[in-house]
Amino acid sequence: MTRIRVTAPRSAARPVLQSREAAEESAVGQVFVRSLIRSQLRLALVVAGGFLLILGAFPLLLAAIPGLAESRVAGIPFDWLLLGAGIYPVTGLSAWLYIRSAARNEARYRDLAEDR
Amino acid sequence: MNPAVGIVAIAAVSVATAVIGFYGLRISRTTGDFYVASRTVRPWWNASAIGGEYLSAASFLGVAGLILLSGTDALWFPVGYTAGYLMLLLFVAAPLRRSGAYTIPDFTEARLDSRAVRRVTSLAVVIVGWLYIVPQLHGAALTIRTTTGLPAWVGSTAVVVVVCLTVVAGGMRSITFVQAFQYWLKLTALAVPFVFIVLALTDNGTPAVAAAATNPTGLAPAGPYQNISLLVALLFGTLGLPHVLVRFYTNPDGHSARRTTLIVLGLLSVFYLFPTAYGLAGRVFAPGLAQAGQADALVLLLPGRLIGGPAGELLSALVVAGAFAAFLSTTSGLVVSLAGVISQDVLGGSVRGFRLAALISATVPLGLAFMTDSLALAGSVGLVFAFTASTICPVLLLGIWWRGLTDAGAIAGMATGGLLCGGAMVAGGALGAGGTPFWLAQPAAWTVPAAFAVMILTSRATKKRVPRTITKVMTRLHTPERPLATER
Repeated sequence: MTRIRVTAPRSAARPVLQSREAAEESAVGQVFVRSLIRSQLRLALVVAGGFLLILGAFPLLLAAIPGLAESRVAGIPFDWLLLGAGIYPVTGLSAWLYIRSAARNEARYRDLAEDR
Repeated sequence: MNPAVGIVAIAAVSVATAVIGFYGLRISRTTGDFYVASRTVRPWWNASAIGGEYLSAASFLGVAGLILLSGTDALWFPVGYTAGYLMLLLFVAAPLRRSGAYTIPDFTEARLDSRAVRRVTSLAVVIVGWLYIVPQLHGAALTIRTTTGLPAWVGSTAVVVVVCLTVVAGGMRSITFVQAFQYWLKLTALAVPFVFIVLALTDNGTPAVAAAATNPTGLAPAGPYQNISLLVALLFGTLGLPHVLVRFYTNPDGHSARRTTLIVLGLLSVFYLFPTAYGLAGRVFAPGLAQAGQADALVLLLPGRLIGGPAGELLSALVVAGAFAAFLSTTSGLVVSLAGVISQDVLGGSVRGFRLAALISATVPLGLAFMTDSLALAGSVGLVFAFTASTICPVLLLGIWWRGLTDAGAIAGMATGGLLCGGAMVAGGALGAGGTPFWLAQPAAWTVPAAFAVMILTSRATKKRVPRTITKVMTRLHTPERPLATER
């Protein structure tokens, strides 16, 4: 069991870990940092865009194919199944793919920053 | 249903919450507890706790009620509530954890090096929190009225009293265990009665779910604008909710913040299947509730209607207990994060200040709840998400990903979004549900882009004000904490 105390503000000035200080100070380090931020942002935008496309495709699919919304799977109308349950696996899969790729980006950054 | 059953269920949940809160008080006394705790909270516990705080009256009662009223259009609510967490994971989770900031005002102050930005952010956080507590109290009022027959004000007052007692006494201070327990209680409270409902229906030779598509109210279906605007509000509103963001601090590092969010997504996905199923069942077996204006009480009444006798009473008690857990956990999470902000920024950060701030944070929404009336819980929470998406979301997203953000830009953007969205909410309230044009009723689709645009343009115009600490801050936000050999 864990208890958390909330009142004390955490000051902005915290000790920063050694490797991060090195990255901040050198010009080469900043090149790596900027490239890491760019690749993380690109990854986030690609995953978000892909997810929104699939999300938008669901109602379009229902509208485009007549009769699909009314068809039944195990007695439940298909449009309810698609919107009420089908979207969650897509969300989970997007999240899982993102986490793997984000961790890979960070591993690549670490390799670069340490080999220097 | 028998009033005594409802009262016992509500009392049991309140007492259990208070007891666990007070028990936690005795052990947690120092700031150090918090930091030590932050290294030992496993992602599973933390994720359950986030789920416990996040699943509010809107999720527990409102979603099923709205599905009963408007059918598949309302399915966008649970989808948006869940997908909001995906956006949180993609754009906010790890950098926010790495910033080391505990609250959103802490983050904006550190990022933009400005006390003024901190004050504006604090104001936005307090407004969001108050607006979010009001629907919880409406939900409590509705539950008390429907299940016990007592006057409605007893419900909202009971929630505020229990939350104040536990928070002011020092317990309930974001105790991970309590919140995690309440997630599983809420899930059980919906899942177990539903299993019995399905069993009872199959025994009786169920009528097929044929009537599901029929509309019990004659409400016009929502157009694409309403659905898109709602999704904008929910997708971008989640990543600015103060009580959700606080929880990310208990992760040891950015990577585990991401893993926690992944588990939260799973927990929410499982949970939201049940309100959806209740809504669908309600359309088939209890369409009368929609005409009677009792749609939000669907989850509370359905088990009793479909399963008679003592079994029905017991299952109803379980659902009522789950509903009260939802009001208590969300309200206390919000009161704790609001009290933290108010006491630091206005009352000097002492323990006495924190207690006073907690009282203020809980009683102001109680007054608002008495003055207003709830038509649809999920709808009013949707508006709060629109407000968050127009104020806190732009400053978080641009602060994390854009070096060009300045303090002037942040303040101008938050003010624009807040005024536009707040104005739309006030105008909508004044015009009433019937007289509000659709673009005012769902304002997020234009207030969120407006806030982003003003924030970016003002920052461009005040380029010289980009803080000198920017390189250091951006490096800290985005680089992994420490090379870990095991992760390679």
